[in-house]
Amino acid sequence: MSYAENIEQAVSVCKQQTVLMQRCLAQEKLMDALKHTSIMLTELRSPLLTPKQYYELYILIYDSLSILSTYFVDCHTKRHHLADLYELVQYAGNILPRLYLMITVGSAYLQCADSPREEIFKDMIEMCKGVQHPMRGLFLRYYLSQRTKEFFQADSPEAKKTNANFVITNFIEMNKLWVRLQHQGPLREREQRTRERKELKILIGVNLVRLSQIVESDFNMYKDEILPLVLEQVIQCRDVVSQEYLFDVICQVFPDEFHLGTLAELLSTSLKLNPAVPVNKIVLTLVERLNGFIDRQENPGIDEISQKLASLNIGEENSNLFFIFWKFLNQLSEERPDLQLQELAPVVQGILKLKLRWGPDNIRNVNTLLSFMTEKCKEHGKAIPDECDYLFHDLLLAPEFTNSMKFFYNVLTQCAAYQELLSLQNKKLQRHCVNEILDMLVNARWQITSKADLETILKICESLIEADSEKPASSLMLDEDDALGNENWTLSPDHEKLAKLTHLCFNKSVDVHIELLLSCRNWFQRSGRNIKYHSPAIISNFWILIRKCQWKLKREQADSEKYSNTIKQLFKHISRTIDNLYNSSGGGCLDLIYKLNLQTASLADQSQLGDIAYDFFSQAFTTFEESLSDSRTQFQAIVNMAQTLQKTRNLYMESYYETLITRCTLHGSKLLKKQDQCRAVYTCSHLWWATEISLLGEEEGITESFFREGKRVLECLQRSLRVADSVMDNVQSCELMIEILDRCCYYFIHGDETSTNVSVKYINGLVELIKTNIDSLKLERNSMLDDDRTLNNGGDKAYIGIDGCYIHLGATNSVATTFTKPPTSKSTNLESIPIEHFDRTLQYIQDQKEVDSRFKAIVL
Amino acid sequence: MSIFFKSPIDIEVLLDGEESRKHVEIANADNHAARTLKDRFPVYEDGESVSGIVTLRVKEGKKLEHLGVKVSLVGSVDISKSSSERKKRPVETFLSMSADLCPHGELTHSQSFPFNFKDVEKRYESYRGKNVDVSYYVKVTVLRKSTDIVKHKPFWCLLYNRDPMPAAVSKTADKDMPVKLDIGIENCLHIEFEYSKPHFSLKDVIVGRIYFLLTRLKVKHMELSVITRETCGLEPNQLSDSTSIRYEIMDGSPVKGETIPIRLFLGGYELTPTSNFNHFSIKNYLSLVIIDEDGRRYFKQSEITLYRRRT
Repeated sequence: MSYAENIEQAVSVCKQQTVLMQRCLAQEKLMDALKHTSIMLTELRSPLLTPKQYYELYILIYDSLSILSTYFVDCHTKRHHLADLYELVQYAGNILPRLYLMITVGSAYLQCADSPREEIFKDMIEMCKGVQHPMRGLFLRYYLSQRTKEFFQADSPEAKKTNANFVITNFIEMNKLWVRLQHQGPLREREQRTRERKELKILIGVNLVRLSQIVESDFNMYKDEILPLVLEQVIQCRDVVSQEYLFDVICQVFPDEFHLGTLAELLSTSLKLNPAVPVNKIVLTLVERLNGFIDRQENPGIDEISQKLASLNIGEENSNLFFIFWKFLNQLSEERPDLQLQELAPVVQGILKLKLRWGPDNIRNVNTLLSFMTEKCKEHGKAIPDECDYLFHDLLLAPEFTNSMKFFYNVLTQCAAYQELLSLQNKKLQRHCVNEILDMLVNARWQITSKADLETILKICESLIEADSEKPASSLMLDEDDALGNENWTLSPDHEKLAKLTHLCFNKSVDVHIELLLSCRNWFQRSGRNIKYHSPAIISNFWILIRKCQWKLKREQADSEKYSNTIKQLFKHISRTIDNLYNSSGGGCLDLIYKLNLQTASLADQSQLGDIAYDFFSQAFTTFEESLSDSRTQFQAIVNMAQTLQKTRNLYMESYYETLITRCTLHGSKLLKKQDQCRAVYTCSHLWWATEISLLGEEEGITESFFREGKRVLECLQRSLRVADSVMDNVQSCELMIEILDRCCYYFIHGDETSTNVSVKYINGLVELIKTNIDSLKLERNSMLDDDRTLNNGGDKAYIGIDGCYIHLGATNSVATTFTKPPTSKSTNLESIPIEHFDRTLQYIQDQKEVDSRFKAIVL
Repeated sequence: MSIFFKSPIDIEVLLDGEESRKHVEIANADNHAARTLKDRFPVYEDGESVSGIVTLRVKEGKKLEHLGVKVSLVGSVDISKSSSERKKRPVETFLSMSADLCPHGELTHSQSFPFNFKDVEKRYESYRGKNVDVSYYVKVTVLRKSTDIVKHKPFWCLLYNRDPMPAAVSKTADKDMPVKLDIGIENCLHIEFEYSKPHFSLKDVIVGRIYFLLTRLKVKHMELSVITRETCGLEPNQLSDSTSIRYEIMDGSPVKGETIPIRLFLGGYELTPTSNFNHFSIKNYLSLVIIDEDGRRYFKQSEITLYRRRT
């Protein structure tokens, strides 16, 4: 008998023969019916079909054989005896049709009450061995399994056992065939084989499903009789596809409780699998399953679960999940030294996941796992390959950790291995992780209160802290750059985050808080130049502490001694920090150092600590004198200094104040550019004219102790006027004079003519002088074209700022742009700046005349 | 011939109780074109009496003069001398009994004569093979001056062993011991072929197994067959094999360590018991054939004894 050439023909043959068979059955011609069936079954011998086509055909034939089977049962003993039929079908010459018929008859016979069940079962499964062709064998055995499934409902344990054995035997044989399928045909079709095999996997899996139906909830049976056999087969087949699939199915089809009870067995089996099978996948499946178990419990109390487990007679050693997995992990690393980190990492992560799900708060176990991973990384020796990055990233920042900030914090601070493992990763990954960790800490506004914790976290951040510090040392060129004080303030998010970390430090006790900040400082010290990013943050925290101490000082008189000591100590820390900053960053951030000094000085002054304030001021001056070289910066620094000094109140002993302001003015008058000199000096004139600070309870006219020396004020103004006059640029010169006039008006308003020495006469003279200068400016302007002027009225406008820069206001948009040099554009009419300014000032004086009678003396 | 010279009388031999007797159907060996045609023969056993009635019918209005009517029981071995010669000629008549039915005279009307050969010993079983036949028949001869008129009435003889074993083989010690054969092609195939016993009755089941110790062949399938071999005459066509059963027992290629079960019901097939005659012998072989994917056949034959037993 032969088979059709393609699936279409085969299907049509099958359909045709089915019809013929049914007709014969209707006429009760059993032999003929069998003959047609046999012809139909011959189609299944075809080696030309793909698994899918074969399956299609199989389904068709299955249905057809069901008809036959029904007939067998219906007519049993009436027209034939199934025992005879069973023998009759043995005469079929070809084995495949013979066995299909045999199973059909056999399963029909099983439905009869008086059949020798066990013999039939045994015979059928034995005879199936004759088909050794993988695919045909698989389907034949699948047929056997389908036909017999309804006879597995057994009550007695004995029968259950027999049934289970039957299914297991079938399963084992099927698996063997399935594995063999891989090795059929030419080598180059291997891929295709694997694909085909995967299409067929359900045929094998079905057996395990049957087993789980048979075993129901009998755990002991599962544990003692079923699982060992199944696992044995899984191990023995040594086939990757099969092992992977079967393990998965085992995990899926049997109840969770069973897995819990046989975890050790399952895991030890997974060790014996083909090395190519991804262990992590298996472990993860198991973990998912077990975690799912908790989720599926209606009332997920651990007690209830353990109660349930106890009822299943699960041994003590099996109840500690973590212990089992831990043992497994150790075995794994022992027996599979070849295992790559890539594979190991997910396993560890899986276990971690499980661990955290089952015993969420046990940090010790987490630490154990992480240290295991650390060991492995160390053993790995070489640099960890980049491909693993994401694995370790996932491991270190597992959502299980990061879900709860509290827990994550505990992990960070209490797992020594966490830091160790992190430090073994490559720099890029480390920085990435640390960044995320810091983000989380900052976003959660987590307060770090203990020093030990802080140290650990800082240690974790080590990679970030030290990130760039090594680089500059390597090249001479860069060193030179440093020496030149190249202020390279590129934004560095990493360091910004580190700086934020200092703000997270907090403790009620000031002393402890200081300690925290100090350890931050010490750690950041390592980042070399980069401390310029963190020092301001640390210092400002110190400032906060000083304020806090001041407040406490006022409230708790008893401890005043202690607090004032603390404050002094804090200033020392600040000084030290600034020094460090200076030492390590060289010329990089002198401006910053200067400002920090000033700010601290101001704070010290407010704390009534004149000595300390003086120290910081003098430090600021030193910095100014030694290092601030840029003229713009210098000017800014003088202004800054002046305004800080003007507000000090506690520097009067030992004439600190006078020393400082004189020096400040002196520096101002020595600035490079004339216009800077001029502005600096008239700004410094305020240093001799203290004004009220209402917060301190001072009030103009009532407080007598203001530091005021009108003579010096006038001196300053005169000096700056001289400088202004000597400026070559007429526009600038004029502008400066008008600015001086503005100052004069200020003093005229706020002080008596006698005490300030800024007299009407002086102002009149100044106004006169400016008028003359303006006139000459106007002359220059007259030489310009008229239409130019009309253009300008509607067009751009320019002003000169208080620090001498040019402010350019475009006609079309409202955004002002600032330039340090005069705009080159012809359309801007620079001459009109002082003229308009002067007009505005005169208008002001005019207005003042109505309010203040003294102004009437000023002649316009 | 009979068309031209019609026999002047009809001779009919009716054996006693022929209708109720067991019959066998044997493929008509003479007519190869119509293999499906079968001859039906009544069955007799050894020692059984052969009795019946011979009826001579004279054609209407005719008479026949004869020199006497004789009935004889003949058992003979017929052998064809060469393949070209289809016709088998008797080489030995091992049984010949005869009795006179009536003296010479004239037959004018139909006449019946009973006959009875009592307790005839039949040494051999009937057989119809390729080159050899063993046949039994009742021969009625009407002697005449001219050619005699002869009528053959064949019947079939089956011998049942009272003893389960035929005498020829019963002496061997391994009566019912399983037979185990190691078969192998070096570094290619090594199997163990085992079956339950060397002797089978015709209704028996051959049960056994094949164990693959080593297999590097790409086996397509494996068959078990029973081959009947008759040996007779002279070379070159002394041997003549015919395959009585072909039975596939395995599909696909097994791996090392696989055991393939064998179960073959003999009852449904027409088989010839093993037997030994003066001029020829019939032997049965169990043959295992492995066909690989390139169509090559590897086989192993092993003699088995078949015997007939009353069931």
